[in-house]
Amino acid sequence: MKKSYIIPYLIILSILITACGGPSPTPAPVQTEAPPPVQTEAPAPAETEAPPAESGSKLPDLGGRTITVAVENAYPPFNMIDEATGEGVGWDYDAVREICKRLNCVPEFKQAAWDGIFPAMQAGEYDMLADGVTITAERDEIVDFSIPYVIVGQVLLVRADETASIEEIKADANRLIGTQLGTTNEIVAKEHFPPERVKSFEDFGAAVLALLSKDIDGVVIDNVSALGFIDENPDQLKIAGQLTSDEQLGFVFPPGSELREAINAALQSMIDDGTLEALNKKWGLTQ
Amino acid sequence: MQAVQSQKQFQYQPQKLTLSTLPWWAIILFILGLIIVYFIFTDKNYAETFQYLLAGVIATLRITLLAFPIATVIGLFVGLARLSKNIVINTIATIYIEVVRGIPLVVLILIIAFGLVPLLIDVTNKIGQWGITVFQTGGLSGFFNNLATYSIRNISMELRAIIALAIGYGAFEAEVFRAGIQSIGKGQMEAARSLGMNYFLAMRLIILPQAIRRILPPLGNDFIALLKDSSLATVLAVNELTQLTRLRRSSTFRVMEAFNVAAFLYLSMTLLLSGFVRFLERKMHIGE
Repeated sequence: MKKSYIIPYLIILSILITACGGPSPTPAPVQTEAPPPVQTEAPAPAETEAPPAESGSKLPDLGGRTITVAVENAYPPFNMIDEATGEGVGWDYDAVREICKRLNCVPEFKQAAWDGIFPAMQAGEYDMLADGVTITAERDEIVDFSIPYVIVGQVLLVRADETASIEEIKADANRLIGTQLGTTNEIVAKEHFPPERVKSFEDFGAAVLALLSKDIDGVVIDNVSALGFIDENPDQLKIAGQLTSDEQLGFVFPPGSELREAINAALQSMIDDGTLEALNKKWGLTQ
Repeated sequence: MQAVQSQKQFQYQPQKLTLSTLPWWAIILFILGLIIVYFIFTDKNYAETFQYLLAGVIATLRITLLAFPIATVIGLFVGLARLSKNIVINTIATIYIEVVRGIPLVVLILIIAFGLVPLLIDVTNKIGQWGITVFQTGGLSGFFNNLATYSIRNISMELRAIIALAIGYGAFEAEVFRAGIQSIGKGQMEAARSLGMNYFLAMRLIILPQAIRRILPPLGNDFIALLKDSSLATVLAVNELTQLTRLRRSSTFRVMEAFNVAAFLYLSMTLLLSGFVRFLERKMHIGE
């Protein structure tokens, strides 16, 4: 157990040494395959079939191995701490447990901070990351993604008494927008609103707190987690409108992870038998 | 007086420079700094990162240079209050020091920014609303109207970070001042009082000028520590150096460039500051 603390430092040290050696280290020394944003492993046109399985029904057996799964525990409804039990709950927990049931593996959930999670995944600190992560080409350069399990949109979350429309908020130079640092929401926020009016908080919790205390006027956020925050703060928040509608969410793996194929197959089987849709409905990912 | 002067002149004669008395640490750090500077001039990514982070240096310096004087003033008065024989003043000062020193700075910042300030604004607005109903006309109604509509935006996140850092470091400075004043012999105060000075005059003319030479070194250390702790303002999404480093890193995924340049900039600032503090110490003849 103790040893695992040393490894990241060794990695950082080695990166530091190599980074000092040359002026322009490339960010992605690994992963040679072409990185189109989605479904990288499916060369055949038939996209609905589970890629590694010949018949479409046989799933790989991981032989009871433990998989460390990074979660943020601060991103409802994907992962959060249940107030009653103090345990982590959410879509990610249910989905990964179901996947492991199908693949014969044991998930071990570990709480990780969002900030810096991609370098950590690139270094292979966790076997996978489940955090409602949007699949993007930039991220795909440094980590690997699973097939998308849901497509969501981004919305502007505002206080319940807000009367201005998105356009009016955009036009008003005094209106501030919050979001979480290093998310695709941050990118979208800076595309839709003047970047100098966009504040990037450490997590969405702080951004929503600033929204409630009237420090900012809106939070750019995925619609599912917007609903999660509205659930937690009834009558105080509402959705002003949609900004984008094409965020494909997937699991994240270290580059070249051998787990990806197996988990893709399990996800595909869950899509095929309707388990995934039921799970998405249960946690409000789809209506 | 004359004797003291000559003694000091003797003390500050420069040491003979030999290989073993050279400030090797400074030379090594300077060369490391030059390597980063070289990258900034030759590598496009380093150059862009440097450009991007410069705005953060200004914000970091602004936060530090505003928070530190406030913290020092708080420290002086709370330190004096801590030495007070008046039980009420003493208790209030002790509670402040113990509570603030016991809370991690980042928690203190979050409490002040998201708890205390919104609460104060809320109370201000409520007082304004009450005032409007009581004084419906006249000069006071305008004043209460201002209170009722006072916006939380007037206290920016950066200002809240400055307030929180000043309050947090005020507690440390208070202990520095207390220790410095206590280190001056009791006889000094007694002698001053016997000359007819009152307490505050004696403090100002006799005790503090002596104590300041003992207070300055730890104060300088805290100044540098405050500069580094200004990075905690990043939890409030204040665009200081650390926040910009994180923004840069997350938008480009170029971890080492961002961190190397940020470390270089922080180190440049702290080393310059510690050089300045050392210069001040030497000027005030501390350390004899």
